[in-house]
Amino acid sequence: MMDIILLTSRTLKYYLRNPVETIPGIAISVFFLLVYNAGLSDVSKLPGFTGSYLAFILPVSIISAAINGAGLAGQSLVRDIQTGYYTKLLLSPAKRLAIIWGAMLAGAIVLIIEAILILGLALAMGLTSKTGLAGYGVIILLTFIWGMAFSGFSVFVALKTRSANATQASTFVFFPLIFLSATFVPKAFITSHWLKVAATYNPTTYAFDAMRSVLMVGWQTKPLLLGFGILLAFATVTGVLSLVQANRSTRLG
Amino acid sequence: MQNSDRSIHVNSITKAFSDFVVLKGVSLDVGSGTIFGFLGPNGAGKSTLIKILTTILAPTTGTATIAGLDLATRSSEVRQRIGVALQDVGLDPVMRARELLELQGRLYRLSAQDARQRSEELLAKVGLLDVDPKKTAGNFSGGMKRRLDLALALVHRPEILFLDEPTTGLDPVSRVQIWEEVRRLNREEGMTIFLTTQYLEEADKLADQVAIIHEGTIVASGTPTALKATMGSEVVTIAFEDSTTAASATALLQALVDSAKTVGHETICYVSNATARLPDMLRVLDKSKIAVKNVMLSQPSLDDVFLKATGARLAVDAKSATETVTTQQ
Repeated sequence: MMDIILLTSRTLKYYLRNPVETIPGIAISVFFLLVYNAGLSDVSKLPGFTGSYLAFILPVSIISAAINGAGLAGQSLVRDIQTGYYTKLLLSPAKRLAIIWGAMLAGAIVLIIEAILILGLALAMGLTSKTGLAGYGVIILLTFIWGMAFSGFSVFVALKTRSANATQASTFVFFPLIFLSATFVPKAFITSHWLKVAATYNPTTYAFDAMRSVLMVGWQTKPLLLGFGILLAFATVTGVLSLVQANRSTRLG
Repeated sequence: MQNSDRSIHVNSITKAFSDFVVLKGVSLDVGSGTIFGFLGPNGAGKSTLIKILTTILAPTTGTATIAGLDLATRSSEVRQRIGVALQDVGLDPVMRARELLELQGRLYRLSAQDARQRSEELLAKVGLLDVDPKKTAGNFSGGMKRRLDLALALVHRPEILFLDEPTTGLDPVSRVQIWEEVRRLNREEGMTIFLTTQYLEEADKLADQVAIIHEGTIVASGTPTALKATMGSEVVTIAFEDSTTAASATALLQALVDSAKTVGHETICYVSNATARLPDMLRVLDKSKIAVKNVMLSQPSLDDVFLKATGARLAVDAKSATETVTTQQ
């Protein structure tokens, strides 16, 4: 446990010294929030749409920030592998889990800070929540779990390939994950059959649904259970994969 | 601590990377509290063996015990007992020396305060106390990086220290500092030190025991003195204009000396009682109208041991460094 704290704060210190690395994530999210809200907000006037479009699009903006935060975890491990520091950590008594989680948690913390900034911006733009302050807490928590899930994936790719380029490239799953879902309009509005199917199997859909439900409807059991359940399962799968890969790479070559 | 087993026993270790066999059955024993020099040219398998012995690489076959612990089954205990400084220093370039040392200390379960204290101690020991505390490791010179990496390897007071080519690429002054520290650790803290090197003089000066590896096989081992004594003779090196001349000279001299070899444009003769026989040797060459460019008489070095065992020279020059050391002693 101590090791996780030590290694997480080490990575966080890195971001404090290189804040530039965290900028793309927040920039993309702010861009999404502003542009989609400006361009598509009339969707909310369509019959069958209730609530504000701002609340509807906010989760998309926050989840895309999560991609960047999660990609950071893989990048920081690749950096450690390239500098040889990863080998030093493997030689220390620190648990493999702590070494990976150090990178993942630091990425997730960056992500939470980004999510809070985006929420602040949305509030300034007039965002309201049907569940009050607690609703924002739920959004942050879901973002965190989603971030850890995606971090697990990027760490797995980093350990498997040991290549910065491959790890960077892996963040392109971002596109199907974000856009093959009820991204811009509610699922009921999607007419294409294949997109509907894709959205059903995309874990991001359930993150969007859960976040939107607390903002636009109120406390509802089903979207929250599905949201947390599916995201936790997703995070467990990628977490286990990355840990298995880390244990395998304990003995390099 | 003083009585604990600090030995290393390696038993027929092989390592193959797909088709390429790097280690072809290496066995060696390193006694508690000794300095062991593992000598060989680039690509001979030195780093591979060190990675295996420090638990970061699994051998293809063979076994080893470190501090009495079986490498295959008790690797995490092994890691607690050993300190490792690999050839590629493992420093996070954006961290400062103290941050790296303190984090390392904490990972080895020191309290925050002890870790801080130990960092200062070690910085002083490796001569980095005066470095700007805000300077990150990435901005250190090569020698400073090596010294910091060595300090990191010592944080948890290991009983056995592995150093993979600790002085390769260093300037003579940094090299001497590392040598002094290695000697001190061995003498004062009773640490067993396993070091690889491609510098003959380094092994000769530092090590109690030496093993010479060539293409994955140990070709000679023993104390430096004993190894040189096996040569049983002095070395006469005669230089000629070109290698063909050298080859014919070698053929002519063969009968007069214990053994002779052509290396490049030189003939290397191992001769007992060389001073008495040298005039005869030169007369023979003169008679055959072979012009001698230069003659050198020397005591056998580990390089000669290497040459005799492998037929090749370990062509690395560490002379500038050794001269500095010799004057200091």
